[in-house]
Amino acid sequence: MNQTIFERYGGFATVRKVVSTFYEYVLEDEVVSPYFAGIDMRRQIDHQSKFVSMVMGGPASYSDDHLERVHRPLGIDHAAFVVIAGLLQEAMEDHGMAPADVQAVVKEFAAREHLVVTT
Amino acid sequence: MTDPRPYPGTAPATPDLDAESDATTEFAEPISLPDLALRSIGSAVAIVAPESWEILFENGLFFEWFGPDADADAPLGTRVTGLDLEAVTTKLEKGRRFSWETDVTSGARTVSTELEIRRLKHGERELLLVEARNISKRKEAEYLLDSYSRMAEKNARDLQREKERAEKLLLNIMPRAVYEELRDYGSTTPQRFESASVLLLDFVGFTNMAIANDPTSTIAELNDIFSAFDRIVELYGCERLKTMGDAYMAVSGLPEANPDHAVNLAKVALRMRRYIDRRNAAHPEAWRCRIGLHSGPIIGSVVGVQKYVYDIFGPGVNMAARMETLADPMQIVISEDTWSLIRDEFTCTDLGDAEVKGFGTQHIYSLDSESSGRFA
Repeated sequence: MNQTIFERYGGFATVRKVVSTFYEYVLEDEVVSPYFAGIDMRRQIDHQSKFVSMVMGGPASYSDDHLERVHRPLGIDHAAFVVIAGLLQEAMEDHGMAPADVQAVVKEFAAREHLVVTT
Repeated sequence: MTDPRPYPGTAPATPDLDAESDATTEFAEPISLPDLALRSIGSAVAIVAPESWEILFENGLFFEWFGPDADADAPLGTRVTGLDLEAVTTKLEKGRRFSWETDVTSGARTVSTELEIRRLKHGERELLLVEARNISKRKEAEYLLDSYSRMAEKNARDLQREKERAEKLLLNIMPRAVYEELRDYGSTTPQRFESASVLLLDFVGFTNMAIANDPTSTIAELNDIFSAFDRIVELYGCERLKTMGDAYMAVSGLPEANPDHAVNLAKVALRMRRYIDRRNAAHPEAWRCRIGLHSGPIIGSVVGVQKYVYDIFGPGVNMAARMETLADPMQIVISEDTWSLIRDEFTCTDLGDAEVKGFGTQHIYSLDSESSGRFA
């Protein structure tokens, strides 16, 4: 059986680091940080860790319906989505993931744009 | 007592902010409040020149954690063991701060620190602020978290493997479609299949064989033969339903309807006989089988709650068994219903009418070969 990206990089321990770095970048970014004003970042990081685990082939936890429902009221546009995808990519590179794996995760991530972008 | 630990690179005392109270202070050399704060703070702080990495200022904790082994004027890269200056530059050029975790020794203890470097403007001058914090508590929590999640991941994998193993076992005793119904709804309903075929095979004189020879090796041979039958059955998309002692039962057309059920099962019957023939030629022990085939309506259902068995019912099943008992050794006997479904593709011999218990007089045939001539 082929190992998933999630398994190859040591499971949740790596996801946790990637997501932590990712939000560091997000909160420093002028375009996307306003979306996170007033958000409880602990819960946000918890959700995102599970989501990133999922797109890396780890335990699945979010259905498309769920993602669409929670993002609908946020009015996220394409530009913000692109920035977020770029920051996630940078965070994965920071933690030593191979380019092919980074691309695979970014592709999975981008495939869900239609669930998240509403304007 | 008021003199702070002397260390190189200390910033010259800034003008005293508290000059007014000079007269009342008991300190011989009072220091400014910002200076006091910097010296007492729980973070290690240094200011570094970007190009040369020369340390222009450092507080007491920085000196304690990243103290020089020999050369007090050593640049940052030497003072901070393992620091990758190229990585620092890359990060800073991207407009980000550099962040890195490293362990330092402080007295007898090892302290986990997070070292951050960011750009700093001092008038026209570009400087770097180096700041290191004690993150030992955080590292302990992270260690626990990672260790716990590894355990949870391992348990999840074990559980998944166990689930797959249980599924595989259940698939051995019932068809997948029935298994899925049982899994999703907790029960299954008996299903009537309007058109399906049943094959029954039995060995001639098996009981005597087992007595005359070593029973263990006879059963081992039987296992070999049935395993070969399983592969043949699978190859033609049929299902091995069960074995009862030396009898073997296979079906086609259920639980998924298949218009070619009779043809497929007839092919299976011919290949089973051929396998036995081939095997007998190579083994001292000769096995001889009878095979019966019948096609018609059949009811399939899971029976039992704890000990699941998927079984088939109806007169069609009995008819297949009767056909088998009518067969001579190494003969395949088929009912008229099966014959009418396969007659175009197979060579059969009309055996005439036979008295079949429970069914009265029936016209029966023997299945001899495939018309393409591949199997005689």
